[in-house]
Amino acid sequence: MPDDNNGDDGSVPSGERDASPESRADGGEVTDGGHAVREELPAGDEHGHDFPSMGTVKRWLVTTNHKDVGILYTVTSLFFLVFGGLLALLFRLELTTASGSFLTGTAYNQAVTAHGLLMVFFFLSPFAFGFANYFVPLQLGAKDLAFPRLNALSYWLYLLAGGLFGLSFLQGSTFAGGWTMYAPLNLPMYLPEGVGSTTAVMAMIMFVISVTVSSVNFLTTMHRMRAEGMRIRDMPLFSMSILLTVWMMLFAFAALLAALIILASDHILGTTYFAATEGGSLLWAHLFWFFGHPEVYIVFFPALGMMAEVFQTFTGRRIVGRKWFIAAMTLVALQSFVVWMHHMFLTSINLEIKTLFMATTIGISLPFDLMVFALIYTMIKGRIRFTTPFLFAFGALLLFIVGGITGVFLGAVVLDYEFRGTYWVVAHFHYVMVGGAMAMFGALYYWYPKMTGKMYDEFLGKAHFALSFVGFNLLYFPQFVAWETPRRVYNYQPEFVTWHQLSTVGAFVFGLSFLLMFYNFYKSYHHGEDAGDAPWKYASSAEWAIPSPPSLENFPGVPSYKGGSLSFLSEEEVHGAAAADGGPAHGHATGDAHAGGHDDHASYWPLLSSVAVFVLFVGLAGTNGGGTVYTATAALGGLALLGTAAGWVVESFHVSEPELASRWPFDGVENTKLGVWIFLASDVVVFGAFVGSYIFIRVAEGWQNWHHLLPADHVVLPGLINTYLLLASSFSIVLAMVAAEKKSRAGVVAGLVTTLVLGIGFLINKGIEWSHFFHIHSEHFPEGWTFGTNVASSTFYLTTGMHGLHVTLGLLVLLWMIPRAWRGAYTSTEDGDKPLEYFGLYWHFVDIVWLFLFPLFYIL
Amino acid sequence: MASTKLYTIIFVVLAALTTVQAWVEISGFLDQSYWLAFGILGVVASVKALMVAGYFQHLRSEPRSITYVYAAGLMAALALTVAAAYSIT
Repeated sequence: MPDDNNGDDGSVPSGERDASPESRADGGEVTDGGHAVREELPAGDEHGHDFPSMGTVKRWLVTTNHKDVGILYTVTSLFFLVFGGLLALLFRLELTTASGSFLTGTAYNQAVTAHGLLMVFFFLSPFAFGFANYFVPLQLGAKDLAFPRLNALSYWLYLLAGGLFGLSFLQGSTFAGGWTMYAPLNLPMYLPEGVGSTTAVMAMIMFVISVTVSSVNFLTTMHRMRAEGMRIRDMPLFSMSILLTVWMMLFAFAALLAALIILASDHILGTTYFAATEGGSLLWAHLFWFFGHPEVYIVFFPALGMMAEVFQTFTGRRIVGRKWFIAAMTLVALQSFVVWMHHMFLTSINLEIKTLFMATTIGISLPFDLMVFALIYTMIKGRIRFTTPFLFAFGALLLFIVGGITGVFLGAVVLDYEFRGTYWVVAHFHYVMVGGAMAMFGALYYWYPKMTGKMYDEFLGKAHFALSFVGFNLLYFPQFVAWETPRRVYNYQPEFVTWHQLSTVGAFVFGLSFLLMFYNFYKSYHHGEDAGDAPWKYASSAEWAIPSPPSLENFPGVPSYKGGSLSFLSEEEVHGAAAADGGPAHGHATGDAHAGGHDDHASYWPLLSSVAVFVLFVGLAGTNGGGTVYTATAALGGLALLGTAAGWVVESFHVSEPELASRWPFDGVENTKLGVWIFLASDVVVFGAFVGSYIFIRVAEGWQNWHHLLPADHVVLPGLINTYLLLASSFSIVLAMVAAEKKSRAGVVAGLVTTLVLGIGFLINKGIEWSHFFHIHSEHFPEGWTFGTNVASSTFYLTTGMHGLHVTLGLLVLLWMIPRAWRGAYTSTEDGDKPLEYFGLYWHFVDIVWLFLFPLFYIL
Repeated sequence: MASTKLYTIIFVVLAALTTVQAWVEISGFLDQSYWLAFGILGVVASVKALMVAGYFQHLRSEPRSITYVYAAGLMAALALTVAAAYSIT
């Protein structure tokens, strides 16, 4: 048992507690200082409605509850840890000799590549989001995330994206071009034959879709569903770190999505972006690292938040300089978008931009210094209790300091010329990334009692820490010493053999230490002592004020911090307060406050839609070279996706918005509308990256030199007609909205039908134009002007094609909406026109994108 | 929610501005002074986008924070585009 389970001497001077709700618990007394009476909690999961128990398989297939999804994320990410870890052990064995022959060259390349992709994408972030799913709503005082079905969808897309990645191993070869997927080595001509490489790219796209859905969900939740009285700054530091992480995710992953769609297009359609001599390979580096550097913090921030929580709990001290810690994190989150070119110092970018990015890079290390010192001073000011979670968090801090300092070397242009492509880089980023993972393993021990209700075995936990910490340093530190070893290849200088053998021994020690963790958790789950509600004496956030594990809807009342500490309000109190506040935004939240118990928690559609996407992507990956079976598979998947999408709409799935909540800065915008807006903001970046790619390649080619790549028939008129059509369709949607406000059913139907007709006209016009270009026989383009003719045709077809895809999706939604409008769905109730408004926001956005594509692709 | 009349005016202005853009090319103005025409086309496209966002997406009557979220995406895209294009030697 942890030594603080029964309380000990680590007292907190009362004067050092601040007034924020997050900091006021000491043993659960103040946090739990409200009207909570635990005996009143529902005993089981049933809540009077049909929701399978946790012991059934069905529960885990249909659940949309955030805690269940959190457990699913955690378990799945640990599976990918083992998957990626075994691959690492394979190539560490290869590296025990300087010119090993344990793996073939291709196998080595696949193992290294897949290890990187699996660990970064399928382990680190999802592991963090297992905790985020489970604990962010608890820490905020929310019953669930804003969109529970979308949360389940994120999980299933993630799991099946991992399945798709696994499948790629069986299709000849998975992607073997390194986890950074640098161009042009990411193109079919440089990759092993077979569909596998493309399947791996599609798996990455599927993963990014999952991330985007998740980002929209978390941002909406965190901005609109905090308990009354909890300001953004009052959120516990873990939640704060997740908020900043999801903001970064929203924009960074959008750029990666664009990059991956372009890459998939180069693979499947034969466009020539990344093979282009006009900056094609540099374009990939820009897109990838514009995502990639924020990704470092996307991975590390949750770990940082967990470290802060664990440090506070086990030093019994609020973090020193809390508001500066938060300010530093915010600064890093912003700055992370303007440092990416330090990954490109050895490319042909100019010296001025290298110098600028060196400055921003060195600059971004400063807020981290502040955070590191805040953690160190927290230890000095508090009284440390060396439990397993603390040991892991403390170890992670030490590793991060080493990783951070060695990274500053790489931020200096001149030093980077020497270090680039060596094991210095490998050792540096493993100290940062795996260092972050160590903090998250600490968090797993920290929250295990809450998630399972059982206490882990402290001795085994400490043994795991000791073995893993020694193994970690034995694994990665020799790589600093042998830094001149070239990265990514299996041959190296013989004088480094001993260091690499040490490193391999370290890898096995590190890897095997996790057997202790798994054994500990398994044994403790079945035979561990009951943990109680608040096993950690100074743990202060709201999850410790409720039972372990919490009930289905989390709280025994509606959480509120209005009185200065956490209390739970009854329904009567909520109704009184909400009435005084004028009720929820737009007055249409269906809310029965909190524990009405009528919210739904089960749906098959997230799983089924994800399966449909899986089938679609398996098929798409093979449509170019895989045979008609793949094309048929893609068609089947596409149809299934349409069918399951209909299932979502038809299914009755009730989720209430809280009547009482802190909603800054989005008061007055309901959850769904905010979700649509946040999604559109990420779509701005997707299209921005497409347009940016076009501009980049055109500048590289010579802006006005571009026209010789275009056929003479490429004139203004088709674009002009389509602009008129789209503008008119936007106008007709607005008229439909106006009609809905006037409760004119015929007006709504007329507006929607007009929009549909105009949209179809847009696509027909585009089809005629494309068909004409495909079949021209001019002197310059005797074979037609197709996807792969040149870089101008590639950018034209893919960018306007992506836009056309958005139009098509909009038209599909319209086909659904028109019969509903006919039946009066948007005119019969007070807020019935909301779906029209949401659709309009999307459609106008598609219009706006075209307003820029028109001059760029048809006039200039 | 603004009136049908206002929405109609905005639609007519948008269509007219589109015609202006096409005229810049068809009249030969683009060939005469490319970069001036480039600037005009860019400004007109931006004005049109602002009109659609402000009135059709009624950002004017939404909380300002929504505009900031939208603008943040735009800033990210611009940072990528401008810095990447500038980096070319």
